[in-house]
Amino acid sequence: MDLTRILLPLAFGLYLIAFVLYLLHFKGRQASVAKGAFWSIVAAFALQSFVLGQRWISAGYLPVTNLFSTLFFFSWALAAVYLYFELRYRIRAIGLFVIFLNLLLLGAALPRDPVLKPLIASLDTPLFTLHIAFSFFGYAFFAMAFSLGVLYLLQRIIDSAALPDLYTLRRLNEEAIFLGFILFTLCMIFGSIWAYVAWGYYISWNIKSVWSLVVWLFYGGMCHAKFIRRWQGGVYAGLSIAGFAIVLFTYLGIGLLLSSNHPLD
Amino acid sequence: MLQRLWKVLCSLKLTIILASAATALTIVGSVVMIRYPKTFGMLDEMVLGAWFSRFGHSNYALTGWFWIVCLLFILLGINTLCCFLDWLPKVRYRWRKSGEYLIHLSFILLLIAFIWGSASGDRSQGHRIPVGATLDLAKIAPGYQLQLNAFSPTFSPEGRPDDLPSTLTLFKDGIVVKTGTIRLNHPLTYADLVILPGSLAQQVDGFRFSGELELRPGSIVRQADGTALRVITFLPDVMLRNGRIFPGGAELNNPAFELELIAPGQEPWRGWYLLRQPLPSPLAAAGFALQPIEPLVTWLSILTINRDPGADLALLAAWCMAIGVLFALISFYDKRQRGDAPDII
Repeated sequence: MDLTRILLPLAFGLYLIAFVLYLLHFKGRQASVAKGAFWSIVAAFALQSFVLGQRWISAGYLPVTNLFSTLFFFSWALAAVYLYFELRYRIRAIGLFVIFLNLLLLGAALPRDPVLKPLIASLDTPLFTLHIAFSFFGYAFFAMAFSLGVLYLLQRIIDSAALPDLYTLRRLNEEAIFLGFILFTLCMIFGSIWAYVAWGYYISWNIKSVWSLVVWLFYGGMCHAKFIRRWQGGVYAGLSIAGFAIVLFTYLGIGLLLSSNHPLD
Repeated sequence: MLQRLWKVLCSLKLTIILASAATALTIVGSVVMIRYPKTFGMLDEMVLGAWFSRFGHSNYALTGWFWIVCLLFILLGINTLCCFLDWLPKVRYRWRKSGEYLIHLSFILLLIAFIWGSASGDRSQGHRIPVGATLDLAKIAPGYQLQLNAFSPTFSPEGRPDDLPSTLTLFKDGIVVKTGTIRLNHPLTYADLVILPGSLAQQVDGFRFSGELELRPGSIVRQADGTALRVITFLPDVMLRNGRIFPGGAELNNPAFELELIAPGQEPWRGWYLLRQPLPSPLAAAGFALQPIEPLVTWLSILTINRDPGADLALLAAWCMAIGVLFALISFYDKRQRGDAPDII
């Protein structure tokens, strides 16, 4: 029996419940509702972790090689990142937007074929595992920053008591960008070492690599931009949204629309 | 004046302007890259210096943006170096920024390594080498030779090559400097050389005849009366012009053996046996009945050989960056816990 086909829709359902509960919490601000949403996410994340572990063991490699598995892994990493922020800062209303993003990712993965194919020999290296894991955790933090950026701009307009204040949102956004940049840097380091041992050069001018450099440069710039007073707040939030557009194009746009050395299906 | 220039070179705003400009231009340029693969598709085939001298001047409308991006990166490197040098004397009281500045240092090192490799490195693909042969690397790395000791490709059930293990010996001025087996993700590296498996090909190097007789260059067939037939050369494709043999291509088309027949008490006979034609009469007269059955095929390893003098420095930069990233991570939480506010400009 394929556990992936059973447990993933279940996880999707739990995320959906969490989303609805967060929506209710946003309106009514009842602590018990937010608690219910949080535990739904914990349960969904636990299911996803179990599926990931089971697939990893049965494949013998970290199964993040096609569109289904990358969407699934991205969704899992985003849930992990959300739980990190939730457990660290207890800011539940943020979950509304992040879980919506997660639903989109997991929802896009569900109709696809989860079959595990044998790993092609060139990917059979620990450098692949490290490169891919750091890459998607970096993406997840950038997705978190995107959500925080949107919420920052929203809070500036609606000034809701259900959302954290602008200062907190800005600080969380800066943290998400910083952690995303750190992880994406590690992804680039392992990717470059892998490129050297596989191709004999560490910087490739393939379109995917060029856009990865763009992502790195963009978020590197953002790590500096937070020190400029005029750019803090609105500009920074806007940049977080623009940055995620670059991330999405690097991940999905190039993988699906263009020919690159990182194809997705 | 100098102080003002130094301030500009160390400025955070300059970093953001340069990084933003490089980002925006690379985004636009990537569209040009996709639309003109004949020009930009060669970027990974050669080092950047060679690419610039071959394509960089041919059409500035196409390559201009790339020149500017490279210039922006160099300026960003100078800006980063100035920031690093500005911080260095203050390290005693700004040591919590060590992680961030290690990342800065590694970016500078990486840039230097890349420029060094791009200017004096080399890339070459498609070196076809049969087992036992030695390849002179004079064009890529003078003084070096490479010998293929063994090649045993493995295949998937669908027939796709899975791995291409080649056991190699690298010589420098005739002395062995390194031996090892390369396969996917496991190159042979020595000094600034990196040798990788590229692909594989088949080579016909002889023929099987009836009676399980296999003939390759060097093979000798002896008969009971002491007559010996020696294979001198085998060519998979020959052309016959005015009674003379000329070598054709590497594909199996019109195969021929150059043979020597040594019979006791007779003058040795030397001549060509074209497998599409009847056996030469001296061979038939000597009692040889050679009936070609199938070609004898051996694998050729096709190697990629690159030279990058900056690779070791780039690896050092990678280590430096990884350590810097970890330091920055630790200090980030430490600063948050202490309630340290960053310097805002």
